[in-house]
Amino acid sequence: MAAVLCVGAIGALLLLGLRGNIVYFRTVSEAVKTRTTEGTHRFRLAGAVVPGSISQTSGGVRFELTDGKKTVTVDHAGDPPDLFKARAPVVCEGRWGSGLTFVSDRILIKHGSEYTPPKVKIRPSASGA
Amino acid sequence: MSQRGRDQRGRDQGDQNTRLLNPLVAAGIGWATLVALVLVGLFGLWGAPPDKVQGDAQRLMYLHVPTAWLAYLAFFVTAVASALYLWPRTRARVWDRLAGVSAEVGVIFTALTLVLGSLWGRAVWGVWWAWDARLVTTAVLFFLYLGYLALRRVSGDPATGAKRNAIAALIAFIDVPIVHFSVNWWRTLHQQATVFNPALNPEIHGVMAATLWLGVLAFTLLYVFLVDRRYRLAALEDGLDDRELDRAIAARVGEVQTTGVS
Repeated sequence: MAAVLCVGAIGALLLLGLRGNIVYFRTVSEAVKTRTTEGTHRFRLAGAVVPGSISQTSGGVRFELTDGKKTVTVDHAGDPPDLFKARAPVVCEGRWGSGLTFVSDRILIKHGSEYTPPKVKIRPSASGA
Repeated sequence: MSQRGRDQRGRDQGDQNTRLLNPLVAAGIGWATLVALVLVGLFGLWGAPPDKVQGDAQRLMYLHVPTAWLAYLAFFVTAVASALYLWPRTRARVWDRLAGVSAEVGVIFTALTLVLGSLWGRAVWGVWWAWDARLVTTAVLFFLYLGYLALRRVSGDPATGAKRNAIAALIAFIDVPIVHFSVNWWRTLHQQATVFNPALNPEIHGVMAATLWLGVLAFTLLYVFLVDRRYRLAALEDGLDDRELDRAIAARVGEVQTTGVS
């Protein structure tokens, strides 16, 4: 009986506590969709860095972030991490600035679960090149 | 406690043996662990190539993944041993002891997983810690079993305590599948599983995969070795406690009956 109560209490706490917080980041499309209602609320935005869009600013970098459907401009204050480069999947922390510009003060590199040495293709695609 | 009650506690079924493994087998596992760990070091640092994206930082995987696997395994053993203790037909002191010993090793490996993961996170993500589902559930796992170990040290009637501990161990185990599937159930910064991914189709280069498997093997051997050593220590400690209790009772009886009891 006590065990059942414990499990129930833990489950309820988990569900209540994690509701809304469990989504670690939003995709660019999701963020653009809620742009007008978001205000200056802080959240995390994930996407890939558009090649050729990175430029230095006085306080950091500016680049374009895309999820393949929508693209936004990210204005980042501070130095980006070492692995930050074109096409890198990143998570930016910050809030909406003017228009579709996201003002970020922290960039995390989100890497995948594939591991490969340089110049090796794990699974050559069936269609060729 | 009465003499009869004490006898039941001390000489439970299957408690005559203070060893889990035959000493020769245990020694063999010890040497195999050493060789496997040295090989993991060599392959992890030099044999395996650096990752295309992460460079040398990815080499932390050869320790981080095996320690995490070990934590799962250790807590699984704790859960099974606890269930066997709770089931009246298999109830024996050996299961209670094994549950505690395995949880101790599991907590150490969970802590190692968190520390190694933090180092890897700093090198690749750029942060020591992130409040994502995988990291938080793993931290919860650490504290759950730390609590379980604290619970095991609560004094009281050993038989009732062992049952209570076994129930706690089964409740704590709920978090293990949550940790494992957290990266599939929720969006996380942490990457998804490479080897045991839902499609069971590892995307990892050959030598890297081999090194990872070697790491899993080495740490599994290390786990068996540590549990065997720690079990023996725990059994001998219990034996010592029992003997001291015997002596104390004998001394007390000797005070009452002038003839004395040996």
